[in-house]
Amino acid sequence: MAVAHAAGGHRSARLRHRRNVRTLTPGQLASFRNAITASQAIKDDRGYLRWAGIHGLPLPISCTHNSELFLPWHRAYLYFFEKSLQDRVPGVTLPWWNWTMRHGEGLPPAYKAVKSADGTPNPLRGSPIPPAGRGPGGPSRTTRNPGASGAPPLPTLADVNRVLALSDFLDFQSQLEDIHNGVHVWVGGTMGSIATSAFDPIFWAHHTMIDRIWRLWQLRHTGSRPPRALLGRALAPFPGTVRDTLSTTALGYDYAVTTSAAKGTG
Amino acid sequence: MVDRYVSDAIDLPEREADADVERADLVFYGVDHSGASYEARIFINAPDADAATPRDDAHYAGSFCIFGHGGCFGDAGHCDVPTEPADPFDVRPPHQLVPAAKTVIVTDAFKRLVAPSDETMTVTVVAVVPGASTHDVLSFDTVRLLTYG
Repeated sequence: MAVAHAAGGHRSARLRHRRNVRTLTPGQLASFRNAITASQAIKDDRGYLRWAGIHGLPLPISCTHNSELFLPWHRAYLYFFEKSLQDRVPGVTLPWWNWTMRHGEGLPPAYKAVKSADGTPNPLRGSPIPPAGRGPGGPSRTTRNPGASGAPPLPTLADVNRVLALSDFLDFQSQLEDIHNGVHVWVGGTMGSIATSAFDPIFWAHHTMIDRIWRLWQLRHTGSRPPRALLGRALAPFPGTVRDTLSTTALGYDYAVTTSAAKGTG
Repeated sequence: MVDRYVSDAIDLPEREADADVERADLVFYGVDHSGASYEARIFINAPDADAATPRDDAHYAGSFCIFGHGGCFGDAGHCDVPTEPADPFDVRPPHQLVPAAKTVIVTDAFKRLVAPSDETMTVTVVAVVPGASTHDVLSFDTVRLLTYG
């Protein structure tokens, strides 16, 4: 992540914005789908399956859960995955799934549609799971079982506001992780297990929402940070430490509900 | 592993009648997360609560969710959590399956269901694995009530 801090060098230091998947323009959604499709087509260590496999299977399982590194590790994970997508489609960013809204709709339409607007298979609907990425007898493609009998309800805006009101980082992180867990449980199927969840494309939209809530918390509680003892902790297998994840803008991105622009003087 | 837990009577320290509780937490220590993902629904003073008890029941206090590992995918011993204290020179991260601590903020339910004069309370935990036929996934060491005010 140190590379992001050097973005003012030979490159233009333009901040990229992550957006709500529901407010993507048709062109933005098409670009994101193109990036996922291209990533899924690559079988080497630049491709989707490699990135998905960092979280869980194949072993080792690298993600951090029930850990004080939960938010920083996943911020780094999203950052490097997003960079790999930008290698395929420059400028593309990860959208977030706002699961506090439209509960009757379930998963976002962009992730449920069988086909994309151009008639090609929708890459956000699922992904293959390689043999090493699934347990014995596990499915070769991602599955979902949203809102199965007994599933916890999706979080509400009030739930999110309650955790945003917590001023201590570890307290906030612990409660936000539990909200995060509930969404994994609600989606079910591949998303319901640490070992496989990142193969489902909805994983990235869910975690982008979690990362966005952390960003909102940072804006609300300026000066509140993880304990000093955590700041130098490594976030394996990624280069960088907790300290490197504290500023999204230093990493070259931010969150925007909408973005609009007009041409300048030229 | 069980699908339901009812605590013994938890002794409550004497409280001033007018003391305001700013926050009450139930903290579950030693929670296993090696298996299926599940929701753990928590009820105060409702020892008969079960999976059919709705979340809008007056004794419902909140829940926590476990995002489980889904089983062991390694060879024998892969998922055995070391029980010996770490060597001070061992800087490897902790084992993935070190049991979790889960904090559930239950302030409103505690105020509603536990009077200052009450000497004990009980906690019932009901585990639910969505869409599954068995729910024997719950295992933890201790539950502790913490109040702040």
